[in-house]
Amino acid sequence: MNIVVCVKQVPDTATERKLRSEDKTLDRDAADGVVNELDEYAVEEALRLKEAHGGEVTVLSMGPAKATETIRKALAMGADKAVHLHDDALHGSDALGTSYAVSQALKKIGFDLVILGSESTDARTGMLAAMLAERLGAPQLTLASKVEIEGTAIRVERITDYGYDKVEASLPAVVSVVEKINEPRYPSFKGIMAAKKKPVETLGIADADIAADQVGLANSWSEVVDFAAAPPRAAGTVIKDEGDGGARAAEFLASKKFI
Amino acid sequence: MTLLYTEVEEELRAAVRDLLADRCSSSAVLGRVESGVESGMPYDAELWKTLARDIGVAGLLVPEELGGAASGAGGASAREAAVVLEELGRAVAPVPYLSSAVLATQALLTAWGAAGGEVAGELLGRLAAGEATAALAVPFAASPYAPPAPAVSLSEDGTVTGTVGGVIGAEIADVLLVPVRLTRGTALCAVETSPAGTVQGAVRVAPVTSLDLTRPIATVSFASAPARVVATAGGPETPWVREALLRGAGLLASEQLGIAEWCLATTVAYVRERRQFARPVGSFQAVKHRLADLWLEIAGARAAARNAAARLAEAPVAGDITVAVAVAQAHCGAVAVHAAEECVQLHGGIGMTWEHPAHLYLKRAKADQIALGTPGDHREALAGPADLPAPV
Repeated sequence: MNIVVCVKQVPDTATERKLRSEDKTLDRDAADGVVNELDEYAVEEALRLKEAHGGEVTVLSMGPAKATETIRKALAMGADKAVHLHDDALHGSDALGTSYAVSQALKKIGFDLVILGSESTDARTGMLAAMLAERLGAPQLTLASKVEIEGTAIRVERITDYGYDKVEASLPAVVSVVEKINEPRYPSFKGIMAAKKKPVETLGIADADIAADQVGLANSWSEVVDFAAAPPRAAGTVIKDEGDGGARAAEFLASKKFI
Repeated sequence: MTLLYTEVEEELRAAVRDLLADRCSSSAVLGRVESGVESGMPYDAELWKTLARDIGVAGLLVPEELGGAASGAGGASAREAAVVLEELGRAVAPVPYLSSAVLATQALLTAWGAAGGEVAGELLGRLAAGEATAALAVPFAASPYAPPAPAVSLSEDGTVTGTVGGVIGAEIADVLLVPVRLTRGTALCAVETSPAGTVQGAVRVAPVTSLDLTRPIATVSFASAPARVVATAGGPETPWVREALLRGAGLLASEQLGIAEWCLATTVAYVRERRQFARPVGSFQAVKHRLADLWLEIAGARAAARNAAARLAEAPVAGDITVAVAVAQAHCGAVAVHAAEECVQLHGGIGMTWEHPAHLYLKRAKADQIALGTPGDHREALAGPADLPAPV
């Protein structure tokens, strides 16, 4: 089975993240790049599926030159090879442009199963899995908390507000995972050493048959018009218990969909 | 030779730091300290298993042919072990890395290198795979320049009897390596602490009230405990112990560096946040100059510790490592203690709080300072090679 995991390098959520004033895109040099946390769960799930069913795990990452750090971490965890989609023309692509570019790269690599984290900590659109599935004509199984494969059938438990759905499809398919699915492993020293020898193929837009007029900041369908720093946190609501404190606290939680 | 961290070292550091961030927060360490006193198990066995087996740090010094990761051709070496120790020091992690993967492993490596012993090879394989944990039954405060004479004797029936005080890592050890005296010469023996059919009470590990709560010392007594001979030596010296203590001292400098770095980083973060007289206390010269001085001291400590690690890596079995080790140990111990003292002081009242981890670092730094030779021992050892004999 040929599994492709899409991973993204994102600015460390522990540091201050900034947008660049000149083109209103993320300033990727301002913060340390780390692997998008949910993508680590995707890598782990791919490795577990490979260990159970055999096959090969390919890491696919679209991003600037320093995204190689992220690729190396995924390889150190145990992925077999990697493809780095890297082209200045891709800078500033929105979700639609990104899904187009990634889907073209996936067509070139070939896949039985595509796994990705359900959202990134920087853009947080959570749309890529659905868009990729649409573009690839493959079934989408999003927000998976459990994945089972039997032959060409794939069964997924999909997290919902009320519990989970059991959904089934046939491969090839696109799966996005949530953090409930597993516990990602830590790269081992031997894995780190082995990762140095694993092949990393770099693709530009021409190599992946990506049309230049569909990607990049200028061709984005969405536009960042303006941005401002988040306002300082306002004081919270204080509930004074006058006999109905419990009920009012429950009401508040219910209104925020916590209960 | 560059002392900068390589890409592989940085990736190894990231893996260890991620694990420690997830599983070894300061509140987790404080919790372990509390429960460890009652249960008699100061170490976090689960964390150690993940470190040793999954990340594979236990085998960094063990050659590839024995199942470890060390090799002359780009594999692991003392430099990688030093990076692990920096991270463990930074987290005052309660794991037996120094006692098992450095001290005990180095003693076995010396025995294995000298005679290619079968027992040493087998034990090293188990240690490297993280299947077993070992401890060297020698006082942690022993100086590598004057290793103590063995206090344990080997009987003709192959059992050992005697008592050793001040041992680290014995509580969690599956194998204790004991230097023993023979009628003529010395030997290094391996005692399994829990093989099936061991006479109860043959090996006793009695905890001692220790300054360092995250790596306490214990008294180990053997009463006719079955042992295997790992190596023997003809003279009164115990070369395995000397080598383990010397190399352990060289790597201990990296742990001290990690302690000092945590103390500085945490204190700087605190004085930027803590306000007094309507400004952050870190803006007062009396505070910031102290921290700037500390930064300089740590820069020196890093150079000394990295130099020691690099020299150990270049000379994995023999070679003159004494100068690098003695320089690092003469310097880093005091830096770590000073950093921890500044941390407690500049945190004000909070630094004196049990629930704040600062005291763990101060205690670890102080215990490390006298461990494996005091700074004075190491300065004295430098006198000869530096051609600066002490005044008579």
